[in-house]
Amino acid sequence: MPADSKTAQPELRRSVTPWGSFSWGYSDVGADIFVGLGLVLAWAAGASNVAFLFAGVVYVCIGLAYTELAATYPVAGGGQYFVMRGLGDIFGFIAGWAVLLDFTIDVTLFAWTSVDYSSQLLPALVNSVHPWLHFGVVLGLVVGLCLLNVIGVRESTTFNGVVSALDVISETCILCFGFLFAFRPQLLIHTMQTHWPSPYELMLGTSLAIISFVGLESISQAAQETQRPASIIPRTSVSLILTILIFALAYSNLALGFQPWHPITDAAGHHLQFWQIFPNNPDNQGKAVALLAAQVPYYGAFAALYVPVLGAILLLISSNSGVFGSSRIAYAMSTSNLLPSIFQRVHRKFRTPMISIVFFSVIAVIELVFAAAPALFPAVSSLYTRFFHGENGLGFLADLYAFGAATSYSFVFLGLIGLRLTDPLSPRKFKIPLNVPMRFRGEQVEFPIVAVIGFIGIFSILMFTLFTHPLGRIFGPSWLLLGLLFYLVYRRYRRLPVLGSQPRNWRTAQTEILRRAGELELMDEYVANLKASDARRAGQGT
Amino acid sequence: MLFFRGLLAVAIILCGLVILVRMAAALPEGRFTVLPGIVLGVAMIALGVHRLSLIARVRGMM
Repeated sequence: MPADSKTAQPELRRSVTPWGSFSWGYSDVGADIFVGLGLVLAWAAGASNVAFLFAGVVYVCIGLAYTELAATYPVAGGGQYFVMRGLGDIFGFIAGWAVLLDFTIDVTLFAWTSVDYSSQLLPALVNSVHPWLHFGVVLGLVVGLCLLNVIGVRESTTFNGVVSALDVISETCILCFGFLFAFRPQLLIHTMQTHWPSPYELMLGTSLAIISFVGLESISQAAQETQRPASIIPRTSVSLILTILIFALAYSNLALGFQPWHPITDAAGHHLQFWQIFPNNPDNQGKAVALLAAQVPYYGAFAALYVPVLGAILLLISSNSGVFGSSRIAYAMSTSNLLPSIFQRVHRKFRTPMISIVFFSVIAVIELVFAAAPALFPAVSSLYTRFFHGENGLGFLADLYAFGAATSYSFVFLGLIGLRLTDPLSPRKFKIPLNVPMRFRGEQVEFPIVAVIGFIGIFSILMFTLFTHPLGRIFGPSWLLLGLLFYLVYRRYRRLPVLGSQPRNWRTAQTEILRRAGELELMDEYVANLKASDARRAGQGT
Repeated sequence: MLFFRGLLAVAIILCGLVILVRMAAALPEGRFTVLPGIVLGVAMIALGVHRLSLIARVRGMM
């Protein structure tokens, strides 16, 4: 009997606690600063904290949008579901396809940096010294995670929680000791005034800063498995958003005004500021937090030993969430007829979506080959230098990560605005602030100003990405075009509306979503809103 | 447990205040360069207040 998803895939158990919900999001987004810090310091130099501030403000808007949407529509589909419901099938596909790019990049990028952090303790793993060994270990990790996901082994919520708690404590200690004993406000100001980057470098740095805030899909994934999500999700999300923002701003400010514990010198013996060890040094860019932790007075002696290990574990969890998340998003897209039903098939024995997992892991491996090629083959390196401004492996992955995130987040803002206008009757226990009341199609709606601000911000970052990333502006749009072509052929083959949307009964769907979430009061409120609206329309009709 | 959580929230607020004061002191010479630091301080205070409000809500329910 073929394993049909609708019968073989059991409903997800709603057992995630508030802390579980926080740690789920934290293990996804919290790891990003381990990757983003070095890259942003390398390009935005004296304006790194400004780059993080700009990306951080946009991120707060995105976080609030996801919180509202996940609390209102607690389903695991995430961005693609919200966009599909707000704007229609084709836009839902584009948003979901961009998220899938991000998840596959997530697998490779985080496995890559996990190895970079390990190289702090195991110098044989340094990419520039042993590129084949580095490539082999990253490949081994990607294949290993794929196999673990196929046989259905996931890290437990408890493990996620413990690692997240250890990381929050660790980062807090690093920042406390750093700000107490090594931070000089005058040095920060001096660095910002004397090493301000060019506009091109600032745009590049800002587009890279957004990768420190990617992973908010986890909020909606957690919503599907949280009891009473409309109450729990806003509480945990606001804490998560602020915690991530604080860490990003704190690290960037500290790094620019940081007096290292041990003097840092270049090959000629000249003293360097801490942030100056990152430009033109991909090995250092991949392990920035470990390098900073080791230079924190007193605490650094201890941190130098464990931060590389903790970072590597957190990054590996994040990499695993890419394997798991891509298969789950593909499954959700497949149930909405945005992707073929093959992505819903589950393995008879392991009861996991094996085809999805293997398919997106293979894409992750292809991306790894593209990223590692310049280091592995000198001939390819000269090609990259000639055509792509000499972008290195980490830069290539970061380019695509930023592109995928900026694209999907742009659509999520539009989806939020669309849903506010077309679905005003769904009860929203959490609303992003600053709304303008107005009437739309006979209903009282609230137009979200923050969503417009967020859209302008994230769209600017998308433009920065396209303008400043030679590889990103080729591979990112190519990914979207290929996907769109495939979508058009598939929908035509299935005789479904190609540019339009499949007819769906969102009223029944929403009632069912709220019932399954245990939000019975909200379900009653929704049904009452529907009845009142229908009665009003009937009254107007007569 | 709630007491320690409350203590942590107050500590976060105090840290935010310290950062805010240090950044504000550097305002005359730093001007706009202290803006990210000021936002950092405000974010810490906001997080602490958010945590305290959650604790207050839990205590109200007990």
